[in-house]
Amino acid sequence: MAGLVRFNSLIVSSFIVTGLLAIVPMPQWAMYYRPEWVALVVIYWVINNPERVGIGVAWVVGIIVDALTGSLFGLHALGLALVAYLALRLRLRLRLFSVSRQASVVLVIVGLQLLLIQWLQFLFDLPRGTSMMFLAPAITSALLWPLAWVLLGGIVRSLDLN
Amino acid sequence: MIADNRFGYMDHARQALGLIATPFHWLADTPVRVGNSLSELLVSRTDLLEENARLREELLLSRQRLLLAESLSVENNRLLALQNASALLEQEVLPAEIINVSPNPYSRRFLISKGSRDGVFVGQAVLEANGLIGQVVQVMPFTSWVLIITDSSHVTPVEVSRNGERALARGSQDDDTELDLEFVLPTQDIEVGDTLISSGMGLVYPKNYPVAEVISVRRSPDQSYATIKARPMARVSSTRHVMLVLDAGNPGYAAVVEEAAAAAGADEESSLAAVDSPN
Repeated sequence: MAGLVRFNSLIVSSFIVTGLLAIVPMPQWAMYYRPEWVALVVIYWVINNPERVGIGVAWVVGIIVDALTGSLFGLHALGLALVAYLALRLRLRLRLFSVSRQASVVLVIVGLQLLLIQWLQFLFDLPRGTSMMFLAPAITSALLWPLAWVLLGGIVRSLDLN
Repeated sequence: MIADNRFGYMDHARQALGLIATPFHWLADTPVRVGNSLSELLVSRTDLLEENARLREELLLSRQRLLLAESLSVENNRLLALQNASALLEQEVLPAEIINVSPNPYSRRFLISKGSRDGVFVGQAVLEANGLIGQVVQVMPFTSWVLIITDSSHVTPVEVSRNGERALARGSQDDDTELDLEFVLPTQDIEVGDTLISSGMGLVYPKNYPVAEVISVRRSPDQSYATIKARPMARVSSTRHVMLVLDAGNPGYAAVVEEAAAAAGADEESSLAAVDSPN
């Protein structure tokens, strides 16, 4: 029971940290490459603990991200729900992949999320990029996936939660 | 759900979630705040004395300028009264601090430390020490989002201070530190170095605040409009302190409405009476 509470608080705090990373001020040029931290953490939890983090949790986290970034409500919620769905479908295969192959799948998943958000922004005539630069965060996210995998895995193991 | 949002049904949820977001923003801002207070702590006594002397000097100079400006504004009010127009009175401002910038690199917005609890409302004009900086687009209990005039979805109605030539300044698509003047006919008299001030049309911004300086003008025969670029007066990306204009019941606005109605009559100006709202 105590382990369960600790595990849930680890999940919540991981989302709090990524929420902060998502809004931490950065220089203008670096913002184009800001990794989708929240998506990375959602993918990690969905792969390893689908019984705790699924599409619903991803949606709620997305709503909070929308509130944090001041964007249209449901924008990141839909994006993260898509991420969670794709990760859920691929999770059994992803678990067997090496970290670098996982990273290539993460590239595609985050890319699809960004594409969905871009479409929605187009649909609602919100400010958006006009070049392919909107996909740049997918690349940085994929590059940072090994770090997220090792870091989160290390924390889970050190707390001996599974 | 998103559709709901477009029609504003979600405003209350937004307010509530904004409340949750506030501690996040506070935390994200902490490094900057700590840095600032550290540099304030570590400043030496001589530096402080120097700064004090400099500020005193500046205060004296601005007092003197203020005296001049006061007599001018009295004279201006009298002239306006002669012309039967209601005068633009001095506006009160509410100081606020920028605590975060929009993480979306394509939208130029920042978060300020005043919200609906402090009487901030959507559409409120925001100034910086050197000029206009933007308008409030979203209000939460303790914070609110401000759209900067350089956002590509934002249009500021301006006029040239030299001759009153009117134009619309839209945030540039490709350079986030510049404004493009839209629909300026090649025959309109706008030159490099001209100061653009807010014209008060669109009823969002108060009149006569400096907005930008024209940095390039290109008129080519094959285009029906001149290509004019301007740089905002406000230090858009380096300032931390802004002011919110409290213009509720401002009599200046009545004059602006009259003027806008008069301008709408003239065929050329009709296109310029467009509203400076986001999107």
